[in-house]
Amino acid sequence: MSALDGLGVVIFVGLAAYAVLGGADFGAGLWDLSRDRAQRDLVARAMAPVWEANHVWLIFVVITLFTGFPGAFGVLSRALVGPVSIALLGIVLRGAAFVFRQYGASPDPDAPVGAGRPVRGTALWGRVFAISSLLTPFAFGAAAGALAGGNLRADGSAGLWRPYLAPLPVLAGLLAVTCCAYLAAVYLSRDAERIGSPALVSRFRRRALGTGMLAGGLALAALPLLPPALGGELRGVGLPAVLVSATGGVLGLVLLWRRRHALARVAAASAPAGLLAGWALGMHPWVLPGQVLLADSAAPPAIAGPVLVVLLTGLLIIAPCYVFMLRVLRAHPD
Amino acid sequence: MIDDLTAAREQMELSLSFHIVFAVLGVGMPWLMLAAEWRGLRTGDARWTALAKRWSKAVAVLFAVGAVSGTVLSIEFGVLWPAFMARFGSAIGLSFTLESFAFFIEAIFLALYLYGWKRLSPRVHLLTAVPVAVGGMASALFVTTANAWMNGPVGLVAGPGGGLVATDALGPFRAPTAGAQMVHMGLAALMCTGLAVAAVYAFAMLRDPARRDGYHRRGLAAGAVLGLVSAPLQVLVGDWATRVVADVQPAKFAAMESLPRTMDGAPFHAGPFEIPNALSLLLHFDPNARVVGMDAIAAPDRPPVSVVHWSFQIMAGIGTALVALAAWALWLHLRHRRGRRHGRNVPHPTARRGFLLAMVVAGPAPFVALLAGWVVTEVGRQPWIVYRVMRVPEALTTQTGLASYLYVTAVVYLVLAVALVAILRRIARGATPPDPAPMAAARDEVPA
Repeated sequence: MSALDGLGVVIFVGLAAYAVLGGADFGAGLWDLSRDRAQRDLVARAMAPVWEANHVWLIFVVITLFTGFPGAFGVLSRALVGPVSIALLGIVLRGAAFVFRQYGASPDPDAPVGAGRPVRGTALWGRVFAISSLLTPFAFGAAAGALAGGNLRADGSAGLWRPYLAPLPVLAGLLAVTCCAYLAAVYLSRDAERIGSPALVSRFRRRALGTGMLAGGLALAALPLLPPALGGELRGVGLPAVLVSATGGVLGLVLLWRRRHALARVAAASAPAGLLAGWALGMHPWVLPGQVLLADSAAPPAIAGPVLVVLLTGLLIIAPCYVFMLRVLRAHPD
Repeated sequence: MIDDLTAAREQMELSLSFHIVFAVLGVGMPWLMLAAEWRGLRTGDARWTALAKRWSKAVAVLFAVGAVSGTVLSIEFGVLWPAFMARFGSAIGLSFTLESFAFFIEAIFLALYLYGWKRLSPRVHLLTAVPVAVGGMASALFVTTANAWMNGPVGLVAGPGGGLVATDALGPFRAPTAGAQMVHMGLAALMCTGLAVAAVYAFAMLRDPARRDGYHRRGLAAGAVLGLVSAPLQVLVGDWATRVVADVQPAKFAAMESLPRTMDGAPFHAGPFEIPNALSLLLHFDPNARVVGMDAIAAPDRPPVSVVHWSFQIMAGIGTALVALAAWALWLHLRHRRGRRHGRNVPHPTARRGFLLAMVVAGPAPFVALLAGWVVTEVGRQPWIVYRVMRVPEALTTQTGLASYLYVTAVVYLVLAVALVAILRRIARGATPPDPAPMAAARDEVPA
């Protein structure tokens, strides 16, 4: 395996981490659209400590992509201007609105979140947070769908929006949003269990079951829309990924049904991760199917090698830090 | 409608300016937070701990805004300048890779710091602030090396296609301006943070004399020490950075000093004044030494002179004024301390309206200098995106209608800036811990 293959694997790992960790933070935004104060507070408590670290995975993927495959980064930057702009808008508004809502709500720094008279406009930022959370996963999903469908051109000449107004990109966008909502509901049902709120547990469990089935249905509906070459890859080299995704999806639902919320999280996360792996294996070795090869766009080996070493060392350092943070901060009754 | 190249440039300028203003606070504040919590822990003074808690809220908000606006930048590089990223993304890749890890560390430990007050022991809690402060500073310095590489690209060889290919992963760290730029940027972050924080407390004390209490004095002192100690160091580093520019980027230097012709015994401009032979003397320690002027640069390779020159003058002027302020503050502090030791009643510096007013004015000043400094380094590099290797128009995307992106970005950032300031003001308000009772206060007043 060359350094470039290694970089490709690292990019995929970052993407999968962003999808299952960062994705749940976006999905939590959907569940924030609720009149119930307890539910919104649980969303805020679960998300507040982790969303920024989870967000760094996206920055990590972007950076590793332009370092390891600068040509691919240039091509994707030209071809994906439309959805990437929407995703950025969502990222900026979601992140800013979340902290504004959180810190604008309480005049006394030591009061719990939500106490006291808020800064003017805080309620509006709460809505902005919820709605912008849906923009980003939809835009990224649509981008992945358009890439898989072969709708794009390397010079961006396919148009800013036109490539995405097709069944596959729209379906992929909806699938991404549903996966995020599903992951968030699964994780939140476990968090609700931990803080000892049976009402919230059963509410999020129901929502997880609903969105999980919807996500599975959307994934199945997308299959016949895939171009034949990609479909062939999924029956061949991508088959294990498809199986992981399908098994994880079904197992997640079964575990939720049986109220095994802690285990359900792992199974639930493997469903979108497998889906993403199937997409990546199906796309390989292309950046744009039939037009641009990943290998043609790569960094010189003199750079790929050292960068891979730095990446692996860095990941070895941050992984235990991240786990330590989760262990210290995970929600528990006050 | 403005043309696409101008729109892309303005968009870059807008996003960078927004990011840099809030990011420097995100870099500097954790150091203040760390210092305040440490003093609170060591002395048992609740006012220091209260300051640390208050500042940590500001860090949380600033870090979030810095993180999202930084994401915009990293993606914008590709959307606006795809040809630059496709050719040189890997050349500056290591800078950003290291930056992303520094950022991970900062985000993880900031979460522990913010939400761990009750879950970690005081000592461990204090320790979690160390990776936040170090990670924040490191991420800023790593990113600065990428800019240093654009100012002085190294490690490029002719590739098979005829174009230049990057072959040195450490290129950004070997760039000739890397050292000076990193130290200059790091000190700028500390200066901006310190003086901005000091200004907040100076303003409160100026408006309401009842607020000239121990809590506000400590807030002002911590900020003022950080900002004003950095100021004279920054002038020295600025001098170093200027010499490096004179060596490496003569066109930028000629623009900074507004030197139209190469000449022996070049004069030095300070605002409206011109001191004969001083530039040659400062640069080469010889009043008659030759200094390269703009006429030595081919016409298509010249940067715009007056923007660069005046930005440089503004930056240097503010830097000098802040050194004067530092000297005044030090003098007031020493006089107060000596007076107290000899039993004389010399008022505390914060009892002087003039000093408080000066500290309020000094709050925004380093930010103006920071932005002016970025104008010097970025506009002074024009017309190149990678100095002497790639021109800015060659890097531009083929996408059209970039002006509409610019307008959307401007509106979004304006809304965010207004909301952010409102939230920070809200965080600054609220109850503050009172000074201890008179007996304890007497002990407290013993000079540290």
